[in-house]
Amino acid sequence: MASALRSTILRHIRIPVSQTLTLNGSKLGSGSGAVAFRLFSSHADDHLDKEEVSARVLDVVKSFPKVDPSKVTPDVHFQKDLGLDSLDTVEIVMALEEEFKLEIPDKEADKIDSCALAIEYVYNHPMAG
Amino acid sequence: MGVSSGPRLSGMQKQVLALYRGFLRVARSKSPEERHRIESFVSVEFRRNSKQIDGKNFQYIEYLLRLGKKQLEQLKNPDTIGLSSLSVNSSRIKRS
Repeated sequence: MASALRSTILRHIRIPVSQTLTLNGSKLGSGSGAVAFRLFSSHADDHLDKEEVSARVLDVVKSFPKVDPSKVTPDVHFQKDLGLDSLDTVEIVMALEEEFKLEIPDKEADKIDSCALAIEYVYNHPMAG
Repeated sequence: MGVSSGPRLSGMQKQVLALYRGFLRVARSKSPEERHRIESFVSVEFRRNSKQIDGKNFQYIEYLLRLGKKQLEQLKNPDTIGLSSLSVNSSRIKRS
């Protein structure tokens, strides 16, 4: 009885096509919006891979004009091992800022005096890109 | 004032490095040619001073720090496109 009633009612209901289309359309729209948002947020959340951070930090240091690229390893100290001075160190840290699109506050920047610390800092920075 | 070799920086050294960093940062906001000019000028200037000035001449270093900060403020103004005016200033401040 109930099912007969239901089919009778359903047979008489007509939903205008245009309305369904709009509905689909808006669903589709919000769907792709969600995807775009997820892509964006996953980009911001995603930590860079440590290997990648390390390789890019070393590249920045190697490309510094006063540095002998063959001496650059993840363990080198800018001043003790590479013969740089504190002004050079400032320049390297600034170059790292540009490479990873960061702004490193003075207090932090003053502490970064080796490749190891630079890699550590960038790796732990949530905004490094 | 002898560019630092040790890991520990004095307060004054930190100020000098912060000023240097400030100049490099502001250089980024200018046109590429001007940026390059600012970077090389500032780099030469800081290195020259670090070799010529006695690191214990605090008064003179303080004076240069104040001067540098003032020049940095001028350079931060978006209307300042470069530092040609600064080089005029710096030739005026030849050490006494």
